[in-house]
Parts: sequence; C-alpha cells; structure tokens
Amino acid sequence: MIGLQHYLVVSAILFVMGVFGIFLNRKNVIIILMAIELILLSVNINLVAFSAYLGDLVGQVFAMFVLTVAAGEAAIGLAILVIYFRGRGTIAVDDINRMKG
Amino acid sequence: MTALFESWGLPYDWAWFVSTMIGILVIALPLMLAVAMIIYADRKIWAAMALRRGPNVVGPWGLLQSFADGAKVFLQETIIPAAANKGLFLIAPIITFTVALIVWAVIPFAPGVVLADINIGLLYVLAASSIGVYGVIIAGWASNSKYPFYSALRAAAQMVSYEVSIGFVLISVVLWTGSFNMSAIVEGQRAHIFGFINGYGFNPLLFPMAVVFLISAMAETARTPFDLTEAESELVAGYQTEYSSMSFALYWLGEYANVILMCGLNAILFWGGWLPPVDWAPLYMVPGIIWFFAKLLFFFFVFSWVKATVPRYRYDQLMRLGWKVFLPLSLFWVFLVSGWLMLTRYGV
Amino acid sequence: MIQTIAFYLFAALVVASGTLTILARNPVHSVLWLILAFFNAAGLMILVGAEFIAMLLVIVYVGAVAVLFLFVVMMLDIDFAELRAGFAQYLPFGILLVLVLAAEMIFAIGAWKAGGIDMGSRIAPTPSEVPNIEAIGTLIYTRYLYIFEGAGLILLVALVGAIVLTHRTRGGVKAQNVTAQNMRRPEDAIRNVKPAVGQGVEL
Repeated sequence: MIGLQHYLVVSAILFVMGVFGIFLNRKNVIIILMAIELILLSVNINLVAFSAYLGDLVGQVFAMFVLTVAAGEAAIGLAILVIYFRGRGTIAVDDINRMKG
Repeated sequence: MTALFESWGLPYDWAWFVSTMIGILVIALPLMLAVAMIIYADRKIWAAMALRRGPNVVGPWGLLQSFADGAKVFLQETIIPAAANKGLFLIAPIITFTVALIVWAVIPFAPGVVLADINIGLLYVLAASSIGVYGVIIAGWASNSKYPFYSALRAAAQMVSYEVSIGFVLISVVLWTGSFNMSAIVEGQRAHIFGFINGYGFNPLLFPMAVVFLISAMAETARTPFDLTEAESELVAGYQTEYSSMSFALYWLGEYANVILMCGLNAILFWGGWLPPVDWAPLYMVPGIIWFFAKLLFFFFVFSWVKATVPRYRYDQLMRLGWKVFLPLSLFWVFLVSGWLMLTRYGV
Repeated sequence: MIQTIAFYLFAALVVASGTLTILARNPVHSVLWLILAFFNAAGLMILVGAEFIAMLLVIVYVGAVAVLFLFVVMMLDIDFAELRAGFAQYLPFGILLVLVLAAEMIFAIGAWKAGGIDMGSRIAPTPSEVPNIEAIGTLIYTRYLYIFEGAGLILLVALVGAIVLTHRTRGGVKAQNVTAQNMRRPEDAIRNVKPAVGQGVEL
C-alpha cells in the first residue's frame, strides 16, 4: 500500500538531487537553475502529498503559487543569463563577481 | 466495459487493463486508417482546386495511394546522419506521433463514447499539445544540421505563441460551459440559441473566438498559410530534412492525426460535437457519431481549402498575428464573455 | 495493485530522470531529463487526486519553462566542457553533503511516522462531492483571492522584467508598418499619365 511516506521519500530524494546538482555544477548557471527547478518540484510533490493525506486543499493551492514563482524565476533567471552571455561570452558563475556597478 | 469483463470473472485491475487496451485499439487503429484516407482526401481536394487530377493510379480512383506510399516508406532504410544525436534523433518522431494519439483519449465521439471521460479533459488537451513541441525541437537539434535547426526554432516559437491564444479561446468556452469536461461542453451547446440551435459558434459573442480558434489551429498544426517550419523554398523540408523511412512516416502520420484532432476540437468546442445543428427530434435519428464526423470532415475540407488558396505568411507576419492580434483579442474576449456571464447568468 | 505499480513506475522514473538532469554531460540532455522528471511528477500528483496541479505542472513547466530552457541552451554558444571542469573536484564534498541531508530527511520522515506532532485543524477540508478543479477554483477565488492576484502580479513583473532585460533595438531593420500599409489609398500610390509617343515618363 502506498502511503504518505512513499511520497515524502521520493520528494526527499529529488530535493537532495537538486542540492547535489547545485554542488556538482557550480560553474554552469543553466544547470543550477534546473537544479533549483528540481528542488521546487520536490517541494510541490510534498505539498500535494500532504494535501491529499490530510484532506486539506490548501496544499494544492500553495503548490500552484510555488509553480507561479518558479515560472517567474526561470524567466527572469534565463533573461539575466542571456544578457550576461551577450556581454561576457561566458556563463561561468565564477565570473559573475566582476559584475560591479 | 470494465464492468463487462468483471462480470466474466476477471479481477478489477485486469478487467480495467483489458478494457482500456481494447478502447485504445478501437480508437487508434481506425484513426490510422482515417489518417491514410484523409491524406488522400487532402491531395484530391488540393488537386481539384488546382484543376489537376491528383492521385488516380493506385487502386480505384487512387484510393490506395496512401497505403502504397506507406508501404514504400516502410520498406526504405532508416538513415541516421553520422553527426546526429542518435537516440534523440529516433525518439523525436515517436514523441510527435504519440502526442498526436494520446489526445484522442478525451475526445467524445458520441454520448458516452469516450475513452477517458475526465473532468479536466480540456486541460489534458492543452497539456498534451504542449508536449507536442518537443517532437519538433528535438528533431531539429538532434539532426545536427542547419535547416532542421532553424525550422525547429521557428516551429517551437510558432507553436508556443499560438498555444497562448488557443488557451484563451478555450477559457472563454469553459467559462460559458462551467466545465472542463468535453462531454459537458458538448451537452452545454444543446439548444444554445433561441432554444433550438446547437453550438456555441452560432452565438454572436463566441463566433469571433471560433474564427480565432480555427486560424490558430492551422498555425498550431503548421498547415499551409503558416507552414513556415517546412517552407520548402527556404528550409528544404524543415525539421524533417534529415528524416527518412519510418521515422519520416511517423511525422507524417502524427501531423495529420493532429490536423484531424484540431478539426474535431473545432466541432466539439464550437459547433456542437455529436449534436445535430438544430435541436429538432428527427435529426436525432442520425447517430451522434455521424454528426461529429460530418462536422470534423467539413472542417478538414476548410483546412484543405485554405491550404490550396492562401499564400504562405512571412514569419514576422505570423508572429505579429499571434501576439499582436490574436492574443489581445482573445484576452479581451475572456473579459467580455465573463462580464456578459456575470450580467446575465450569475447576477452582478 | 495497479496504483502501486503506477506509483513505483512514476517514482522510479522521476528519481532517475532527476538524477540524470544533474549528471548529464550535455545540457540539452539535462533539460530533456528535467522535462521527463516533471512529467512523471505530474503522474505522481494525479495518483493522489490532484489532477489540476498535475495538468498545470505539465502545461506550465513542460509547455513553457522547459521550452525556454531549451531555447537558451540551444541558442547560446557555450563551451560546456569548460564549465564542467570542477565536476570531479566538488564530487566528494557534494556526496558527503547529500548523504547528511538525505539521512536527516529520512530520519525526519521516520520520526514523523512514529506519531505526528499535533498540528491543529484543517483550513480547507477537501470536499468529497465536487471535482478537484472546482474545489481549488472556489478556494482560490474566495479565501486566497489576494494571494492569487499577488501571484498574477509576480508573473506580470517577471514578464515585463524579462522583456526589458533582453530587448534590444537593432538599427537597420525594415519593419512592416501594417497600419501605414492599410491606410494607403490608391490616390497616394497611383498616378495616371498619358505621355505622347516617343516621350518617356518621369517618375
């Protein structure tokens, strides 16, 4: 029988993978953005699983808001990435500290 | 049907599995046959409008032309370009084909005749069609060739742009019905105007949306006035340039299955699906599925007609039409429809 | 039975594709794995009856966000091999951190299983008779109306921000002015002349 723990374990693994991805690909902004999306996805799975388990719809409503924020974050993040690449010709995270003033 | 198998002594899981499989086959196999015939019809209509004969050699009146083409393509060798990304190159046509098939799960053919009568049918259609973009993008990228890549970028931008206005059109229909369920949308159109005309399309408030949907459907399926993704004078054959044999045929089948689907959606959303045009008892003698397919085929004829007569758009014009004309129009119409419903149905 | 199979299928695929998202050599593959992960997560959500969120996930992420990612990855000419340089270097510390994090979480889940902390009453109990989408709609447009509008505002800001950031006006582009074309009348464009034989026409 599938219970809440199963969902929590899946989302925990996914969350950990997202964090791991940020660590492994420290230089590549695109992969970091994707890892953040993974983390947000795991949060969403958690919210929905708890919502179903507790019989409380608020979890799903908040999953929707997380989705909204994630979409906005991806759009802005990629836009910044594109203009940064236009100026520098690279997207390495290490170089971003030169972006002063 | 699940209940029938259960009565034969199968446990629920197996009964569900068997009946679903049968349902899928009953929809998918005739669909493939329909695609073959609709390609033939498309070519015949196109030829007739150009005062040509069209396919007339294979079989009586050339009826077997599509099958001959299919056999030819089937027997060819699948060529994978050396520089291509092999796995993705092969997966791309499969994605297009699968997506074109899965949407049919929620299409109601007649009262109760639908594989999955889910309460979010229209959202499912939107979700499935948003996956369809990937078949094209992946093909263009995996081919590792210039023209397919340009074409893939064009196609992806085009599909995403028109999906937005299609979404808003669907919203105005959903607002009127108050449900995402496809069967409920069809039933909501019964006796819609003056108590006896069936179909949202006859409603002056929704008719402009029907037109927007028809045109957006052409753009979404990349039919001729908007077929810049495979404009042969600019891009050879678009994202299909490097494809041959069965992988090419899968694109072909998927594309036409999508076209039929869009015609069917047109019939369901605006012209009353399985309902006859007027709510008059003798017309209900004709089975609903015949009304549905009659409407579907009429819209397919409109698609072919447009293909034969309208010249191709330029890419910036296409984008302008999508973003600067259809998007504001359909967005405004969502306001208009919801305002009208607030005034008339729900009370201010 | 069938739910169990479906759960394990979706769960295994979502974990596998999530892992491959961060490990894939080619960023395009990464994006595609990410799409698969979202898709299977939507499957997981359908299993618990949250079909609206599941469809939203597919429409928003697979239909829009991932396309954006794919476009950026494909369009920018980035040397990805160079960006992977520190991969092996960060691996040991990354694995250590991940193990600690995972252990903590699984500990928490185990502890929770032993008897949850009493959390107070439900705010919006799931109604049993209305479909999921209707219940969520009612909730969004009543109790959470302001938050919902705030979410819309966030999207608007993101929209305007993304356009402002990436838009650049390029010189030397001949854009079509549709209004000017439509406003043009024959009188402005056509001139009837009747030159004598042997005489040219001056334009």
